[in-house]
Amino acid sequence: MQELGKIHQLIIPFFGHDLTFNLEVILMTWIVIFILIAFGILINLKKNILPGPFQVVGELLIKTFSDLAEESLGEELAKRYSPMICALFMFLLISNWLGILPHLEEPTKDLNTTLGLGLMGTFFIAHFEGIRVKGLKNYLKEYTEPFIPMIPLNIIGELANVVSISFRLFGNIMGGSIIILVVSFLVYSIALPPFLNIFFGLFVGTIQAFVFTMLTTVYISLKVR
Amino acid sequence: MDFDLQSWITIAAFAGGGLCMGLGAIGAAIGEGFTASQASTAISRNPSLSGDILKSMLMGQAIAESASIFALVVAMLLLFSNFSADTWLMVYVLISSGLCMGFGAIGAGVGAGFPAGAACKGLAHQPAAGSRLTTNMLIGSAVCQTPAIFALVTAFILLFTDFTGRPVSPTWAAIIGAGLASGLGAIGAGIGSGLAAESGCEGIARQPEAVSPVTNVMLLGQAVTQTTAIYGLLVSFILIFKIVPATEALAPAMALLGAGICMGLGAIGPGIGEGLTARDAVRWIARKEKAIADITRVMLVGQAVSESTGIYALVVALVLIFVV
Amino acid sequence: MAIEGADLVKAAGFLGAGLAMGLGAIGPGVGEGMAAAKACEAIGKNPKEAGLLTRTMLVGQAVSESTGIYSLVIALLLLFVV
Repeated sequence: MQELGKIHQLIIPFFGHDLTFNLEVILMTWIVIFILIAFGILINLKKNILPGPFQVVGELLIKTFSDLAEESLGEELAKRYSPMICALFMFLLISNWLGILPHLEEPTKDLNTTLGLGLMGTFFIAHFEGIRVKGLKNYLKEYTEPFIPMIPLNIIGELANVVSISFRLFGNIMGGSIIILVVSFLVYSIALPPFLNIFFGLFVGTIQAFVFTMLTTVYISLKVR
Repeated sequence: MDFDLQSWITIAAFAGGGLCMGLGAIGAAIGEGFTASQASTAISRNPSLSGDILKSMLMGQAIAESASIFALVVAMLLLFSNFSADTWLMVYVLISSGLCMGFGAIGAGVGAGFPAGAACKGLAHQPAAGSRLTTNMLIGSAVCQTPAIFALVTAFILLFTDFTGRPVSPTWAAIIGAGLASGLGAIGAGIGSGLAAESGCEGIARQPEAVSPVTNVMLLGQAVTQTTAIYGLLVSFILIFKIVPATEALAPAMALLGAGICMGLGAIGPGIGEGLTARDAVRWIARKEKAIADITRVMLVGQAVSESTGIYALVVALVLIFVV
Repeated sequence: MAIEGADLVKAAGFLGAGLAMGLGAIGPGVGEGMAAAKACEAIGKNPKEAGLLTRTMLVGQAVSESTGIYSLVIALLLLFVV
């Protein structure tokens, strides 16, 4: 039980502040990136009109997510953002599945990962596109609705979206791994943990990856229209 | 009125056992009553099938009862084991595990009554789908028990964790908070999963060919509904296993207790709300199988958004535990 | 155990924050769930309008979530300001 909440950190002093790096999370993120690159190369190795197994999976993913993006974002924006949306889903999927392998951990178990992804999609891209499509004046005007005193609450509402989207993923993955750890400890790792791993790793991990991707798309589309 | 530690522990064990069984009986009674009422309606509509309907009702009630049986187990354990400890924390542990299992059994009991009722009603409409209906009801109501199992796990961990050497002052609040987080948090998820399973049974009765998409989406909806209960379990584990420094001040203790109450209460609403969403989604997938992709997507997005208040509760609970 | 005034105020603040967010989460949770349920029903009736219905649902949910956000604000104020 001692490993609960233990993090390997690299602390570098930087002009009076301590810069903290979570080494394990960085390593695991690199592993995910490596797997994705390898997958990408495998897909492109043998492109054929009769697709091989990797090409089928790749085509399926890209088709599904570009359709989803087009439906909620419209054709023009979808062309720009569907690669990102598809990549986001694949990254989250592999990240959430990574914990099934022994000695590896989900990078999404760290709040920094999910918060970073949440800030990217729900905050920066959504607001950037909102300003770009609607113009700064109309964009700012939305904050005064329904009446001007609501401005601070509207701003908090925007920030709350980022908080909820990142804590949702973090809470699910972290909760799953802590439950697996505690239950394994209680039953001396007999019989139960593999089933829990399948439920939390494969099932909940897939659902949460999809939910995160969908919500990112939806928040962008809400800002645009 | 000066009792020693041992008599306080006995008092707490009796109080905890009473609370556990008393609270734990609420849910199953409501759920089984609902099932019986639906079964009566069904028999009055189709008296020739009364034997099948009765069988299905009893089967459904047996599952709805299991959460209460968990409560009975914990209550018996509290009443008849001889707890002796040299720390005052044992008093709080006994009360908290009783509360945890008692509250935790409410949701699952009420929830498991819904699919059983719907299965009885469906049997009267569509006797041919009997076996499929029963299977779906069994799966659906078994999944409803998961939050109660979470509460059971927390109650057992509380009872069997060694708290000797932990400082009494803030740890007592963490123990009570842990029990409340898991126990209260299980209510919403139990009721919500029951709502999802209800429309699963209803849908299969209406459209027996649609059994596999209906069961799949039902399970998906139930799994998402239970995430808030998982947050409750997470907060309980953190509260139990985090070592807090000893202090005489009241504020740190109240922060830990507040975290537990916050997560427990905060999980109720989203659990029921997500269950309502899953219910309508499953119902309409049974009626219009072609729209399954659209409906499932909207269900997931809608559930995720209605979960956000539960996530705010999680955030506040984590802030209360780790920051202040 | 000597309880001082400042300690008591802080303790009440922490407990109040927990209660505010916990109770405040119940209403919006159920309400947003209802909105999503009706959206699922509407898409079942009219699958062609899925995009429009999803947007309407999200706007409605965002509005009904505002009371949850007020609770969050009050809880954070109680935690950090009081």
